[in-house]
Amino acid sequence: MALLELKNVYKIYGDLHALDDVNLTVDEGEWVAIMGPSGSGKSTLMNIIGCMDKPTRGQVLLDGKDIANESSRGLTDIRRDKIGLIFQQFHLINYLTALENVMVAQYYHSMPDEKEAMEALKRVGLGDRAKHLPSQLSGGEQQRVCVARALINHPELILADEPTGNLDETNEKIVLDLFRQLHDEGTTLIVVTHDAEVGASAQRVITLEYGKVTSSHGDTSFGKAARKDVV
Amino acid sequence: MFFRMVKGVLFRQKGKMAMIAFTIALGASLATAMLSVMYDVGDKVNQELKTYGANITVVPKEASVVSDLYEVEGASTIPTSYLKEDELGNVKTIFWAFNIVDFAPFVSTEVNIDGRDVTMVGTWFNHHMSLPTGEELDAGVVSMRSWWDVASGRWLDESKDGDAAKIMVGSQLADQLGVHEGDKVSLKGDAKGGSYEVAGVFEAGGDEDSQIYAPLDLVQDISGTDGLISSIEVSAITTPDNELSRQAAKDPSKLTVAQYETWYCTAYVSSICYQLQEVITDSVAKAVRQVAESEGAILDKTQLLMVLITVLALIGSALGISNLITASVMERSQEIGLLKAIGAHDQAISALLLTEIIIVALLGGAIGFGAGYGFAQIIGYSVFNASIALSPMVIPLVVLLVIVVTLAGSIPAIRTVLRLDPAEVLHGR
Amino acid sequence: MKRQTMYFRMITASLARRKSRMLVALLAITVGSTILAGLVTVYYDLPRQMGEQFLAYGANMIFVPSADSEGMRSEEIDEAVAQIDADVEGAISYCYESATINDAPIIIAGCNLEETLKTSPYWQINGALPSGDNEILVGLEQAEFFSLDVGDTVSIAYLPPDAVREGEQIIGEVEGKVYQDFTVTGLLDTGSSEEEYFFISDTDMSELIDSDLTYDVTELRVNADADELAASVEKIKQTVPGVSPQLVKRITESQTTVLSKLSALVLLVTIITLALIMICVATTMTAVVTERRREIGLRKALGASDRSIMLEFMGEGLLLGFIGGLVGSFLGFGFALLVSTNVFNSTITFLPALIPVTIVVALAVTALACILPVRNATKVDPALVLKGE
Repeated sequence: MALLELKNVYKIYGDLHALDDVNLTVDEGEWVAIMGPSGSGKSTLMNIIGCMDKPTRGQVLLDGKDIANESSRGLTDIRRDKIGLIFQQFHLINYLTALENVMVAQYYHSMPDEKEAMEALKRVGLGDRAKHLPSQLSGGEQQRVCVARALINHPELILADEPTGNLDETNEKIVLDLFRQLHDEGTTLIVVTHDAEVGASAQRVITLEYGKVTSSHGDTSFGKAARKDVV
Repeated sequence: MFFRMVKGVLFRQKGKMAMIAFTIALGASLATAMLSVMYDVGDKVNQELKTYGANITVVPKEASVVSDLYEVEGASTIPTSYLKEDELGNVKTIFWAFNIVDFAPFVSTEVNIDGRDVTMVGTWFNHHMSLPTGEELDAGVVSMRSWWDVASGRWLDESKDGDAAKIMVGSQLADQLGVHEGDKVSLKGDAKGGSYEVAGVFEAGGDEDSQIYAPLDLVQDISGTDGLISSIEVSAITTPDNELSRQAAKDPSKLTVAQYETWYCTAYVSSICYQLQEVITDSVAKAVRQVAESEGAILDKTQLLMVLITVLALIGSALGISNLITASVMERSQEIGLLKAIGAHDQAISALLLTEIIIVALLGGAIGFGAGYGFAQIIGYSVFNASIALSPMVIPLVVLLVIVVTLAGSIPAIRTVLRLDPAEVLHGR
Repeated sequence: MKRQTMYFRMITASLARRKSRMLVALLAITVGSTILAGLVTVYYDLPRQMGEQFLAYGANMIFVPSADSEGMRSEEIDEAVAQIDADVEGAISYCYESATINDAPIIIAGCNLEETLKTSPYWQINGALPSGDNEILVGLEQAEFFSLDVGDTVSIAYLPPDAVREGEQIIGEVEGKVYQDFTVTGLLDTGSSEEEYFFISDTDMSELIDSDLTYDVTELRVNADADELAASVEKIKQTVPGVSPQLVKRITESQTTVLSKLSALVLLVTIITLALIMICVATTMTAVVTERRREIGLRKALGASDRSIMLEFMGEGLLLGFIGGLVGSFLGFGFALLVSTNVFNSTITFLPALIPVTIVVALAVTALACILPVRNATKVDPALVLKGE
């Protein structure tokens, strides 16, 4: 069943077609990587999927519901209920501890629950770092807090924007392993990246160029085909 | 390149810079307004205190001011020696002539009304003078007795035709005689008698309520004292007394030359008295202690009060400005981190930031100065009905304040930001 | 965990862990509140404090015997003084009698000399006030006329009115004339008619005329405004028949004029200072909030509604406003106290009502200062805020 469906989506800034007739379907439980060079429209696509922006034209169906016509308030609600976001810059609130940062997401979603938040942190391997402020954590640890925050509300879709862009190899591996676990549990993952390694981990790679989808490789024995496509 | 960067900040970050300039303008306007008012409040309050009447009386040397406080019987009230009327103009020729805001001559005589002895006083009501200095002055009891109420009728006015032969009657006397505005009163003086129309009845709240006031010439005619006056009351703006002025008041000849110079050239009530005695033959000028001393006390207090309020306002605006500047420098930590990352030295960054801030500060300060001067005028006109003079001290003080405060607000912030690790700052932790 | 707990946890964390910025904001609010509380206290107490300074101008009310009475007895005066509702700073009664020195007529005044400076603080005395028996204070004019100086002795002759027979010569030796020697302790310089008189204590006066004193005038200094004075005058007129109270118009009217100008001055200064300082506080708060645009964007991306973001930032701002207002209202009272001890040498009335007022104003200013930047930040797309570094 399709969780996300983009039909003839355009995003136009003045003369620039950031997205040009994009059609895309992501099924529930799928792990999709969106790749492409800078300026290819990755970020725009990510913002639209993440309900942080609306397309100029076209339909974006999330769970069968068109978000193109939602008000910004409605978008906020969808984002809160269905999407978990992971950023390249982590974007943790720097005066809250790791635990509190996770709890903020619970707070906006429903009800803060310290135990559950602690569980999430333990899951990303940060049980002992819960009381630390972001400035006391390494980049990898911060990104793991970010992952814990993204999954705390059991979103239908986790959307990660260059999640490993600021990480070293060890941490990149830890984060990818976390993604793999989530995938195995059936979470739908969309990862925007220009790192071939990260792209290769995904089930399917979608390549964007000048706002158009140039290739979409669904691959059950994921890895090889996607790599060839990107290189 | 340096100026290109400064220009870039100033013109492309208009919003933020405008806000800093705005706050500095606010602070500077507050400082300007308060300092201007503080420097001028002495003069203004002094003017207001003139409502208490004259602070100097000039009388003939031989005579004394005999006017009975509470009308105790047996006191003689008619002086026997006089000052010369033609010397009156000299009052406005002394060194501190400019500080003399009002004065009026008086001549008093006893007149007889239906067998009743009544004191009649001749004076100026609203006497217009064109002085040789080109100054125009309206002087007389209308302004010097501001606490008098005209119960019916009106004040006499020298410039009005026909007022030269009219009189004003004190309210008690008017009751006793049963006269009203427009009635005629027959009276007989030492030299002449006649029937005079009552222009108004006044309430003074003192002995004057049982006296008659009339134009100077008329009373001189009636009493046969042409060209003579018995006293002069002078309202002068004075500096509160200090040790020197008290010492001088006793005997100016005991002062050293330097002390004498200082004393003579300061507007102490004693030096003004001394100067009045110099220009009016055979006269004694005395400070009316009740007025002069109290004026000093109130002036001192008001000025001190304004100084303290000004200091508070200055501290407030200083903290306000430096606070905002600190906040705005902190806000730019990322940009500063970037500059460091691409190899800028600390001095170079500090110079850049300081130049920007000082330019904005001076701009805001200039606008604030103009606005503050406006606020001072609002205060001046709504409280004292007069403009507040711009003291030359205000400009350098405000410039100094703005520069010191901006530097005090920016330097610690810049140092804090520079101490940060560029990598950390750039990663936005 | 309850939502409220998390709400407070976030706010307090923001305040406690972002120390430098919060200090900046708190400082701004505290300064604003201090100025508010300080200036308002000073303004409120100014009429009383300044009124005391105006005491220097001397008596503002006098009692004279009513038309059908020869003089006022001291009980009558006390009764009349008791009718006055306001503070009576001094009430000095004078009894005037004619006397002679070497057959030259003079006027002597008997009064409670030690108290005279309360109603006539402007008296300048060269020498000292009489303190013992048979001592005398001489007006400067009379001192010059009789060539008297401090330490001299003067013989005063008094002829009781009942000893004077119709048409009889009172100069020279007259039967019934009383002589008394007085020591001059001081010369009185006032620049006005007091210099015409001789002043002795009321006990000496009583001995000289050999009877109880009835007074011709009482000078009072009442610390009250024009309306209160007028009310007291009416009350005395009604209740004490022997006394006719009068206002010294010159003093009362002038004081009203000058005092109202001074109050207006301080009021205007207060308003302008407050307006400017409050704008300063608001800009600082705005700067502190604007700095957190990115954080606001992030919260939005996490699914926070505009309303809850507004609530959090307002909560922070209001907490700061509360602390700043509370601290400021005490600091402001400190300032007012400083003013009154330094300027007026007295303490100042603490206005408890000013604490809530200051806090409310501080809350309002911080709230206003937060609303605009937070609203602007919530309007921005979270995507732009997060990307735009």
